[in-house]
Amino acid sequence: MASARLELTQLGRSRLLLAFTALEALTFLLLVSLFGLTGSRAPTAVVDEDHGPLAASLVGFLRQAHHSFALRSLSAERARSDLTAGRIVAVITIPPGFSAAVAAGGTVALPVDVDNVDVDLTDDIERAVPSALAAFGRAHGFAGIRVVAAERDLIPHDTGFIPYLVVSALALDALVVAGVLGAVAMTREFEAGTLSQWRLAPVASGWLLAGKLAGAAAVSSAAIGVAAIVVFAGYGIARLHAVTLLLCVAIFTCVGSCVGALLRRSLPVAALFFGLALPLYIDSGALEPERFDGNVIWAIAHASPVYYAVGVLEQAVHGLRVTPEPVSADVAVLVAWAALAAGIASSVVARRAVRS
Amino acid sequence: MSPARQAWALARLDLTVWRRTPWAIAAAVIPPLGMAVLVTVLTWSVTRQPVALVVEGGGPQARVMARIIEADREAYKLTVTDLGRARQLLGRQQVAAVIVVPSTFDQDVAHGSASLDLTLNNVDIDFGDDIRRAVDRSVAEFDAPQLGASLERTGAAQGLVVPNAYRVDVAEHDLRHTTVTYARYQAVPVLILLLVNVGVLGGALLGARDHERRTAAFLGTAPMPRWSVMAGRLAGTALAIGVVAVPAVFALRLTHVVEPPRGHWVPFGALLAVTALLSAGIGVLLGSVVRQSATVALVAVTVSSYLFFLGGGFTTIAFLPAWLRTASLAVPTSYAIDAIRQILFYPDLTGVGRDLLALCAFTAATTAGGVYALRRVEP
Repeated sequence: MASARLELTQLGRSRLLLAFTALEALTFLLLVSLFGLTGSRAPTAVVDEDHGPLAASLVGFLRQAHHSFALRSLSAERARSDLTAGRIVAVITIPPGFSAAVAAGGTVALPVDVDNVDVDLTDDIERAVPSALAAFGRAHGFAGIRVVAAERDLIPHDTGFIPYLVVSALALDALVVAGVLGAVAMTREFEAGTLSQWRLAPVASGWLLAGKLAGAAAVSSAAIGVAAIVVFAGYGIARLHAVTLLLCVAIFTCVGSCVGALLRRSLPVAALFFGLALPLYIDSGALEPERFDGNVIWAIAHASPVYYAVGVLEQAVHGLRVTPEPVSADVAVLVAWAALAAGIASSVVARRAVRS
Repeated sequence: MSPARQAWALARLDLTVWRRTPWAIAAAVIPPLGMAVLVTVLTWSVTRQPVALVVEGGGPQARVMARIIEADREAYKLTVTDLGRARQLLGRQQVAAVIVVPSTFDQDVAHGSASLDLTLNNVDIDFGDDIRRAVDRSVAEFDAPQLGASLERTGAAQGLVVPNAYRVDVAEHDLRHTTVTYARYQAVPVLILLLVNVGVLGGALLGARDHERRTAAFLGTAPMPRWSVMAGRLAGTALAIGVVAVPAVFALRLTHVVEPPRGHWVPFGALLAVTALLSAGIGVLLGSVVRQSATVALVAVTVSSYLFFLGGGFTTIAFLPAWLRTASLAVPTSYAIDAIRQILFYPDLTGVGRDLLALCAFTAATTAGGVYALRRVEP
């Protein structure tokens, strides 16, 4: 308890560190939100030169085409200038006489101008336009359409991309915030040369370490709590699982202590966690179940604790199973990570204290 | 000694100090490296989705449908298998969806009522919608081959409209001849992140180090003007950026990630130079405010990441909501990232001059702020 209180006091004196740690938690939420905002609904101009009922109907089907387009009705000139300036991805022009020709059973060319600077967005457009046309043709009962897709979903509700992302971002937050504070709790002892005093304490160094980590975890929990409130209030995710989040914080504090004990310097800690966090995040099922990316990437993901944390959090919040392994196995591996990390930190500290 | 020579001496000293701080170099390089790894991982996962195809129908129409799906290699990472195994793969998350061409497909086609059965693991709408769009296109291609992947940019795009059941043909016109790969599109801004990270962290650490070692007092009493101190620090930090950035640009050139069109090398170099000076200026400002090395790394990494992400490093600002587009006007890196994409991916330099001017204005403002901050902190 005394060690935890001391850690809290020391952290209380580093207000800038605390402020930026909390800011870091919000940074990742912002980052994934920005990513999610551009992950769907490509900004696209519709130039309706027909103004007929079938043109309006086609625009409606483009709007509904699996979250593909953020449609803006523009004039031809404005659409062209926005496209060349990179403000929109594509221009779909419905030519004059479209409704009459289609109603008469003719086939009309639909000009689609694409800024193919990014292959991902270009692919989305190239798939979404035929998808909208297929729905348009079926809805109007055009003769000659012989095949339709009959979809059956494994999960009764769709989960939005951003709600999915922000929950996995909380796992990333826990890694960065708890990891940095756990690591700094250790590096401070090395840099200040106070490890020798651990030998003079009337308790084993493991207890002192546990106290320090408890203090760091308490502060991390507060920072993650701020991020969780943002997710709760800002993103409308009503079911946040506090126990799971606290478990992640505790585990990543232990991982941080291990990193801090091995690095012994504060300077690279933040950069290391930030630098590693993003690839670990992406290779953890944060965007989609990791196994969809192939067995090699999925196998690599098992080396990261974030993979298991995302699995547990997505199950707890959205009820989604994103790892083939059961959630109980994910929890068990996370606990093993914490035990291993704390063990390494404890061993390093004990050895250094004796040398000091 | 002239002020210019004094500034140059300080720049060389700062560069030497920076080179002897390997942890600082590591701290500056790790986040961009992490971002580069992230972009690489994303390229493996953003375009194709793993799907199992089960062809139960043995007739010619079923084979046509199967061939359409098999041919769309841009959309599907396909495993052709039987229904039992497909269900296993879906359960083990080895595929995201199962497409079944039913045994009655040929008869149903003859009656005009065939269906392609799609079972989708709709964990989130991002990849779920990718699969839905791709399957819709495959279905449309069956009755209208010109709507399929294999006939993109042909037919109507060349003025030849062939009648089809959907009564609409897509005439796709691309804005440019080459399509920039996802990896290249995203990797180029990582170069800006590298410059910003090394500059902000390097400048801030040098300033913080002066305070911790009390060498700021020497600078304060040295017979050199404040602007000379600032110029020296800026130049030292910019040289440090150069040490990291020049090999990075060389490596990116070798791997064809950085391949400016003819005549774009000069604006490319100017852009990198101004961005380096801007980053160094922000770093020097931070170093005079945050005076502890331990804290300065966290602050600098956070500032760099905001500059990168709000500047459109991982997204396209023009595609974001209006309030974010407005906010990004105050983010200097948005001009750098906008300009680097224009210089490398577009045949003309529209807007690059305006972006460079904006970057110069931000650099002047941070430099003036740095001179003022040095006046305040030195004894």
